[in-house]
Amino acid sequence: MEAEKHMVGDIVLAATVLGKLIGAGLAMVGVLGGGIGIGIVSGGAVQAMGRNPDATGTIQTNMILGIAFAEATAIYALVVALLILFVF
Amino acid sequence: MKLEKSRSWRWGINRWIILGLVVLGVFAARAYPPILPHVQLPAEAISGRLFTLPVIGDFYLSNTLLATLIGDVLLLILALFVRRAIRSGEMVLRGITGAIEALLEALYQMAESTAGKWAATIFPWMATIVMLVLVANWLELIPGTDSIGLIHHAEGAAEGYPVQEVGRLGELPVVTIVKADAEKAGEGESYVLAPFVRVASTDLNFTIGLAIISVVMSQVVGIRALGLSYFSKFLNVKTFFSRPLFGVIDFGVGLLELISETSKILSFGFRLFGNIFAGSVLLFVIGSLIPVFAQSAVLLFEFFIGLIQALIFGMLTLVFMAQATAGHAHEEATH
Repeated sequence: MEAEKHMVGDIVLAATVLGKLIGAGLAMVGVLGGGIGIGIVSGGAVQAMGRNPDATGTIQTNMILGIAFAEATAIYALVVALLILFVF
Repeated sequence: MKLEKSRSWRWGINRWIILGLVVLGVFAARAYPPILPHVQLPAEAISGRLFTLPVIGDFYLSNTLLATLIGDVLLLILALFVRRAIRSGEMVLRGITGAIEALLEALYQMAESTAGKWAATIFPWMATIVMLVLVANWLELIPGTDSIGLIHHAEGAAEGYPVQEVGRLGELPVVTIVKADAEKAGEGESYVLAPFVRVASTDLNFTIGLAIISVVMSQVVGIRALGLSYFSKFLNVKTFFSRPLFGVIDFGVGLLELISETSKILSFGFRLFGNIFAGSVLLFVIGSLIPVFAQSAVLLFEFFIGLIQALIFGMLTLVFMAQATAGHAHEEATH
């Protein structure tokens, strides 16, 4: 009886760890969107710089802003994954 | 000419120092192999309870607060250096003061090109945020941050490690956390480390606090620029009666503006926190996997991440404040 209880506890613990790890991995799928977004933004910026090299300064500033916004969503996913791993 | 000379002289000595440090690092990693420390999201308390407030609860000196204070002190010292350099009457500032001048000049040009005549109002907020976040982030690069601290017993789910005494500092033993032996696992006492200094940006209190300052002050700047008509951005009833259908839509868009203002706080706070906290976890993991060379490369990466995040925080503050001063005047002109 005692051993059985111990085993059930072990299974619950293992399931908790398993759920945490799978959940954190799934949360990081959201980073996909951020990556695509950053790629599109910098691709567009490089094309614009190629067409109009004099405007490089403004384009770079706006590109970094756009990247920051695109990255923010990816960072939300990262924060969720970190919360799952280290807080719960 | 002068640069060339000093470079050739310093290289002769510095390369041997660096080679010696690398060899020393290899031996140190052999003697005390680094382990993955216990990662904790809330900041650790490094002092006893300082005082208690009725509703909020107990107050401790946390290690991220200590890092913030160190950053503040560093900034004040830098400010004194700059003041002395300006008072000395030199036309060209040198060394660290020259670097600060270059940074501030670049930031002011950015402010001027974005905010126009409101640049002088917005610039102090933006530059202060950039410099504080920059110093706070770069504290991560100093050896000893995150790794020197107080050892205490592992509690709850935290996985602790045994310790080994390496020396004594007066009465206090100096210990290092060592890898647990496989056969002895589960017995003996286990400890975790609460570092004295942890990077301030890995604490949500710091990042959300800065975000609230930034968003609230952008409202204040907006009110200063537009007066009470600033609020017509949120409670838009201008076209409510003249064009009923579009008036209702405009009103709804105004309410959405309110939500977007509050979500800015979350976006600001989590962006900085997520980047820097993930960076420090990455440093822990890489350090525990490959003790010697790999962490240097990651530290260089963190150097850029810290700089870019500081610039982005300041730049977004600048852009939001500039948007708040602009109002709806130009939109109506284009209708």
